[in-house]
Amino acid sequence: MSSVAAASPYALGADRAAAGVEEYNFDIVKKFTIMTLVWAVVGMSVGVYIASELAWPFLNFDIPYIEFGRFRPVHTTSVILGFGGSALFATSYYIVQRTCQARLISDFAASFTFWGWQACVVLADASYMMGHTTSREYAEMEWPLALLILVVWVVYMNLFIGTIMRRKQPHIYVANWFYLAFILAVAILHVFNHLAIPVSMFSMKSYSLFSGVQDAMTQWWYGHNMVGFYLTAAFLGMMYYFVPKQAGRPIYSYRLSIVHFWALSFMYMWVGAHHLHWTALPDWTSTLAATFSILLLMPSWGGMINGIMTLSGAWDKLRTDPVMRFMIVALSFYGMSTFEGPMMALKEVNALSHYTNWTVGHVHSGALGWVAMITFGSLYHLIPKLWNTRLYSVRLAAIHFWLATIGILLYIVAMWISGITQGLMWRAYDQFGNLQYSFIESVAAIHPFYVMRMIGGVFFLSGVLVMVFNVTMTILQGKREERQALAAGGLAGANV
Amino acid sequence: MSQNPSQQGQQAVQTTGHVWDGDLQEFNNPLPTWWVYTFFATIVFSIGYWLIYPAWPIGNTYTRGFDTITYVDKAGQKVTSHWNTRALLMEDMNKAAAFQKPFFDKVLATPYEQIAKDPELENFVMATGHSLFENNCASCHQTGAQGLVGHYPNLTDDDWLYGGRYAQINYTITDGRHGYMPTFGEVLEPAQIDDLANYVASLSGIHADPAKVAAGRQLFHSDTAGCFYCHGEQATGRHVIGAPNLTDQIWLWADVPAHHTAQGKIEAIRKVIYNGVNKGVMPAWGDRLSPVDIKVLTFYVHNLGGGQ
Repeated sequence: MSSVAAASPYALGADRAAAGVEEYNFDIVKKFTIMTLVWAVVGMSVGVYIASELAWPFLNFDIPYIEFGRFRPVHTTSVILGFGGSALFATSYYIVQRTCQARLISDFAASFTFWGWQACVVLADASYMMGHTTSREYAEMEWPLALLILVVWVVYMNLFIGTIMRRKQPHIYVANWFYLAFILAVAILHVFNHLAIPVSMFSMKSYSLFSGVQDAMTQWWYGHNMVGFYLTAAFLGMMYYFVPKQAGRPIYSYRLSIVHFWALSFMYMWVGAHHLHWTALPDWTSTLAATFSILLLMPSWGGMINGIMTLSGAWDKLRTDPVMRFMIVALSFYGMSTFEGPMMALKEVNALSHYTNWTVGHVHSGALGWVAMITFGSLYHLIPKLWNTRLYSVRLAAIHFWLATIGILLYIVAMWISGITQGLMWRAYDQFGNLQYSFIESVAAIHPFYVMRMIGGVFFLSGVLVMVFNVTMTILQGKREERQALAAGGLAGANV
Repeated sequence: MSQNPSQQGQQAVQTTGHVWDGDLQEFNNPLPTWWVYTFFATIVFSIGYWLIYPAWPIGNTYTRGFDTITYVDKAGQKVTSHWNTRALLMEDMNKAAAFQKPFFDKVLATPYEQIAKDPELENFVMATGHSLFENNCASCHQTGAQGLVGHYPNLTDDDWLYGGRYAQINYTITDGRHGYMPTFGEVLEPAQIDDLANYVASLSGIHADPAKVAAGRQLFHSDTAGCFYCHGEQATGRHVIGAPNLTDQIWLWADVPAHHTAQGKIEAIRKVIYNGVNKGVMPAWGDRLSPVDIKVLTFYVHNLGGGQ
């Protein structure tokens, strides 16, 4: 294959090559890439299981470790921190090195972030199953684990910024702005949301420094900005590198990328309170959150426009290239859920949607449709490059694409219907002004959609298993080719 | 916007001139006009929203917005305030209460027997009763009031543990009930309990061992077991203490319907005699529901089971 780096004059620094050191640290990228897939299988399997528990509660089997309440954070942590986190570490290390033409400043620090991060996710999952939780959504890890994450994160930040400072390019590529914003924002969010006082030095239990509505506000300021900076900004960084690379075309608009980057970063910080409409939160706070959510619509769409317009002139690739298809469908789901979000943030719409499955569907149209799809597309591009070969099977990637897309559609449609059903049933009055339905009647009404959602999850998970097979074969193929090249006495295998 | 890679040099829009990683470049296209104008539209929308609702904090207070809500507070005072969720709730509750008040007043003033003769009032009581039942009672008695064998009585049949007259049902809801049967496993021999189980089964037409039935009948009416004290000479139960009728083929504690063989059914009965019953608790609702709510529920439950 015609590797871009091989064609580049920077592919192999002469001095480093002479010293026997590769220009870039791709070993760390490979490790994180493999763990991305491991966590995808783990996290999504747990997801399918807890979806089944909701449909058929006997699956809890009265085993405390796997009952829904404990298993649910295992799912979210495995997919967000395990799958999403590993993907972001892998791609950010890859992109920052290639676009700055600088090796990561410390191999030890890079390795530390790998083992530290994996330890965080494993220990967090184990602690939830043992029953330890702060009960803060997406921040359930208790204080010792929160501290461990903080240490890993500071090392990561240092490594990333240090590498950017050693760049051999005057300009910082747009993908790196997004990764920087993500790293910085997550550090701030994580620290403030985890401010807590442990019961004792040897207790896992801690109590939040905040109380009442301020506690809720802090949690959702954290929660929504994790969506904003972790699941949106960081994956936009991924998009800004891999979409133009795969399309072989320049980014559509530099100006748009600047404007939407700053607008996105500014607006997101305000909107967390829309998770707390119609609660004890002051009404003015809730109004501001609703309006900033609306103001966020166009800044969010800036990323989608830049991604999709980058492909204009190369639309034919959608027919032939499943990798490109992953990326474009990811951008479409991104556009759809960033439109749906602001609508749900309006007070009146929220009165119908809040506490229903609509919210769950919305999150997954972002998480499966955007985050996972852009990650799959990027990995299909990245993995052959890392192991210096070509993808084992484009056909299997196409099958993965359809399994994933069908899975997402089943999932979202099931959650929309059941969510709106719940919202309408809870608010239904009879002609005498009485509540028409009891809660349990709404539960019975949505059971078929819980089953449908589980089937959607099975589709999505099977797609991931196809990918794991495809990637394994690709890596084995790359290693075989490298051995053959070395046996032939050539140096081709050592390149990239 | 249909640039072709090979025409990059000739098109109107140029790249920024920066190149990363071999081939990463950026065009410098202007912001899409529709994007800019839609963004302006969201700003206009937001300003409108801020004018309607409480929005911006200023020192210790905040902009109130121009929308107002008028409601009656708990003290009965009419209040007009800026839009807020508490006032909105009060306004909704006021509306519902005002709409339902004439009906509730009529329910209070009408004797039970007369309610059914006023179709509109009966409709109201049944609809309101359904809502009250589903939100308060159904967690035990189940939606539809069919109960759960082994736990909670079925309210849709014609069998009343504590009596099915209006006054009795009202008393049951207001003050609660506590059903109790002693643990005979500690008092009687296993063979005696077996005899009793056979006898009780025979009362409902379940095929039982005639010799054991005869022995059981004698025990039932003896001071040794003393069953007849509560369940009565004819085993038809006593409403005063909630002792069930054992002859009506309706089962609450013994899960007889779940078994298909006579042996299984008798075993289910034997277990109840052996262990007794000490979980038949109906909570008192007098402190949680208003008298008129309880009156509505009484009529509703009476109607479900063809009350007495």
